[in-house]
Amino acid sequence: MLTYPDYIVIALYLIGTLILGGLIGFRMKTGRDFFLGGRQLPWWAIGMSLVATDIGGTDIIGVGGAAYNYGMAVANFEWIGCVPAMMVGAFVFIPFFYRTGVYTIPEFLEHRYNVVVRTILAICWLSFMACNLGIMLLASAKMMSTLFDWNAVMCILVTAVLVGGYTLLGGLAAVVYTDMIQCVMMIGGCLLILVLGLIEVGGFSELRKRVDEAQTRRAADVALESGVGAQAGSSLESSDESASRQHSATSLILPVDTPSPFPWPGIYFGLALILSPAYWIGNQAIVQRSLGARSEFEAKASYIWGALLKNLIPFIVAVPGLIALALLPELEDGDAAIPSLVGSLLPVGLRGLFVAAFLAALMSSVDSYLNSAATIVSHDLYKRFVDRDVTDSRLLMVGRITTFGLVVWAVVFAFYLSSLQESSGIYTIFQTLMAFFQGPAFAVLLLGVLWKGANGRAAIVALLAGIATSVTLFSLNQPWIAEYFGWSPLFRIQEPFLYFSIWAFLVAAAVLVILSLFMGKQTPEQLKYVFSNQEQILSDDGEPPSEVSSGADL
Amino acid sequence: MSPLHQFGESIRNLLLSVPLPAVRALFVLTLVALLIWVLRLPELKWTACLAILIQIIIYSIF
Repeated sequence: MLTYPDYIVIALYLIGTLILGGLIGFRMKTGRDFFLGGRQLPWWAIGMSLVATDIGGTDIIGVGGAAYNYGMAVANFEWIGCVPAMMVGAFVFIPFFYRTGVYTIPEFLEHRYNVVVRTILAICWLSFMACNLGIMLLASAKMMSTLFDWNAVMCILVTAVLVGGYTLLGGLAAVVYTDMIQCVMMIGGCLLILVLGLIEVGGFSELRKRVDEAQTRRAADVALESGVGAQAGSSLESSDESASRQHSATSLILPVDTPSPFPWPGIYFGLALILSPAYWIGNQAIVQRSLGARSEFEAKASYIWGALLKNLIPFIVAVPGLIALALLPELEDGDAAIPSLVGSLLPVGLRGLFVAAFLAALMSSVDSYLNSAATIVSHDLYKRFVDRDVTDSRLLMVGRITTFGLVVWAVVFAFYLSSLQESSGIYTIFQTLMAFFQGPAFAVLLLGVLWKGANGRAAIVALLAGIATSVTLFSLNQPWIAEYFGWSPLFRIQEPFLYFSIWAFLVAAAVLVILSLFMGKQTPEQLKYVFSNQEQILSDDGEPPSEVSSGADL
Repeated sequence: MSPLHQFGESIRNLLLSVPLPAVRALFVLTLVALLIWVLRLPELKWTACLAILIQIIIYSIF
């Protein structure tokens, strides 16, 4: 599929990225340079980095595949699942976190609550990020192996060495500036498919017509199967499916009984109101780059710029899935939609540009998780529990050693996963696991910032109660457990992680409020970290206003 | 059927009774509320409004 001109394009992109990352690395002097880019990062670079980090390598293919299978409803994750939360983040939370001078969200939670809340969340995030690094490497390597016939082991090793190299040398600054280039590559490569695809189809109106025709044919096939199923006495799923098929592939809002993972209550209550703010306000990998901005105003501006760019993303990553549906309606596997489209639309040389876009999406996510995981290890674990008086230059060394260790771990974990007999569903399982703690973590963060009454001990119980709720719902939804009790699974849609997050958030918030009313308020020092008291936080020079006490404030 | 299943079923039936045009209105009104909140912020507002307006147009059409 790829020829020499394609490989030249890919090589130029990779060499350019490595040189930029290396040049930034030679300017690193302190831990603050490494973890926060010396607080000298410009808003436009951070905004593009936010967008690039959010789109992983598997997303470039997977979002188009989901659009091929379920229509444009997958775009909700980039639109209502990003823009509102980024606005609230920009004008409320990000400037507040910036002013407190913290390096990590768990560090903020120790200021507001206590060391136990900080440690629980630091370990949760670190576990998720460390595992996700291996999963991203493996999932993308498998994809590259399938699409380009590359050796999967070499893909894992080369990606890890390249990304690990510039992240280890240049820290957050290298991550943000290379992400900026990767964002341009990603948008350029995907835009190319969109434009050439629309020309091939004959424009937007023709695309809509042909997609609706393909949907009608599918609905007819499903109705035929439904008739056969009804005769066999098992028509429940088929009738559900035909309900979904009545809606246009360009519809963003799907009914409650859709068989897709995107019913509107999950999108509105689970994604827009809970998981999306939890991600854009509470995810260390996202928030950290804005904490490295040149000023509080630039930190806000980075989020607004990112939100504006987010409006474009579904057009370039999801609409190509619909173009594939119009041009290649007979594909068995939705994930084959974009690669098939690339193979049929792009000439030699331009295919290399798409592969570079895929690699850009992969590398921009891996480098961010690598740097953020190293920040959590260095600040929330090493500096907090091993050496509280560590110098800034020593912390830089700790950060680099941790980054190296995480790269080795990611490669080993990726190889371990590839040795498992059934590893294809691992990515989905880990996304579900993230939903387990993101809802409760957001409840604790949100109430901690907005409500003076939120109590530290209550926050610990609320976190654990929220996670327990997710685990219980997940368990009751497993067919073998439901069968044991003689029940049907609790949820009817595939991958109901959006619903888990709703209930986990609500339970955690309720427990936190009720217990806090009985346990009383925190100390005046801790209440400085409530939004309405923010004028008491005098630090605007990037350093925490005071060292946290050693946990006696439980 | 467990009490949890019955609770889930009653919520599902409640949500099923909401017509999709009303759901679309809910999405759009949420974005309009966000737009009004941003416009009322004391002295980025215009760039933020542009991003939200694009969202309102998208959710009104699709």
